[in-house]
Amino acid sequence: MAYDCIELEDVQDISVVRFKDEKVMDPSRIEKLGEELMSLAGEEDSCNLLINFEDVRFFSSAAINKLIVLEKRMRAGGGAMKLSNLRPEVRDLFSFTNLDGLFDIRDEQSEAIRSFTNSAED
Amino acid sequence: MNQEEFVWRKQVTIASSVSTAAELIGSVIEQLKKHDWGEKKVFAIHLALEEAMMNAIKHGNQGDESKSIATQFELTASRFCARITDEGSGFKISEVPDPTKEENLELPSGRGLAMIQNYIDEFHYSEQSNSLMMVIHRDKQEQRRGQ
Repeated sequence: MAYDCIELEDVQDISVVRFKDEKVMDPSRIEKLGEELMSLAGEEDSCNLLINFEDVRFFSSAAINKLIVLEKRMRAGGGAMKLSNLRPEVRDLFSFTNLDGLFDIRDEQSEAIRSFTNSAED
Repeated sequence: MNQEEFVWRKQVTIASSVSTAAELIGSVIEQLKKHDWGEKKVFAIHLALEEAMMNAIKHGNQGDESKSIATQFELTASRFCARITDEGSGFKISEVPDPTKEENLELPSGRGLAMIQNYIDEFHYSEQSNSLMMVIHRDKQEQRRGQ
């Protein structure tokens, strides 16, 4: 499947998602982004999902809402989802709205990948 | 708003569309940078303006591009002030769920408003709640940066 808003890479058995836009604010792009993310949750072999925020400078409340729905869907399907590489100002968006408790947020992608592996071994 | 200290001001009514709003916000950000506002404060204003404009377009004007948004921006050496007014019938702030509460974390509403409130220093809605005025003080940011 070709994606317009995200780039997808498989690392071990984890689907790593990166955003193509550094500013995720436009409602029409966010709708499209939501559709693409939800399609990942529907794939049987994508039960581990890592969203790498490395290039993201702005992230709107509407985009956060999409992630909340995605996380809920992943959890319901028995999968796991983590976030990594958030710039401090973007991470703040999650912190002050208490969403750092809902999402598993890691500093680096490598750390997030390891934590998936460790969880699987537990 | 103290009219004596303006270094820049703009008053314009725009079509209620995302692209027009983005262009206007871009011109505001350009002025902040031109007047040497710090990166963190520019980020805060940028985010608050984006969220406020999206609220005006999506909720206030119900996505109707034939409607308009009245805007007013004023910049002094020490503060930035913006007023954004849509054509909506307003809403009751008290009825917007607090998205930071445990029971509301997964709700889709209220987060944009919470972001605006978090990033700006003063926040006033008109009586009808279709006009939002935001103020950010430059000095406070400088104080926080020094902490």
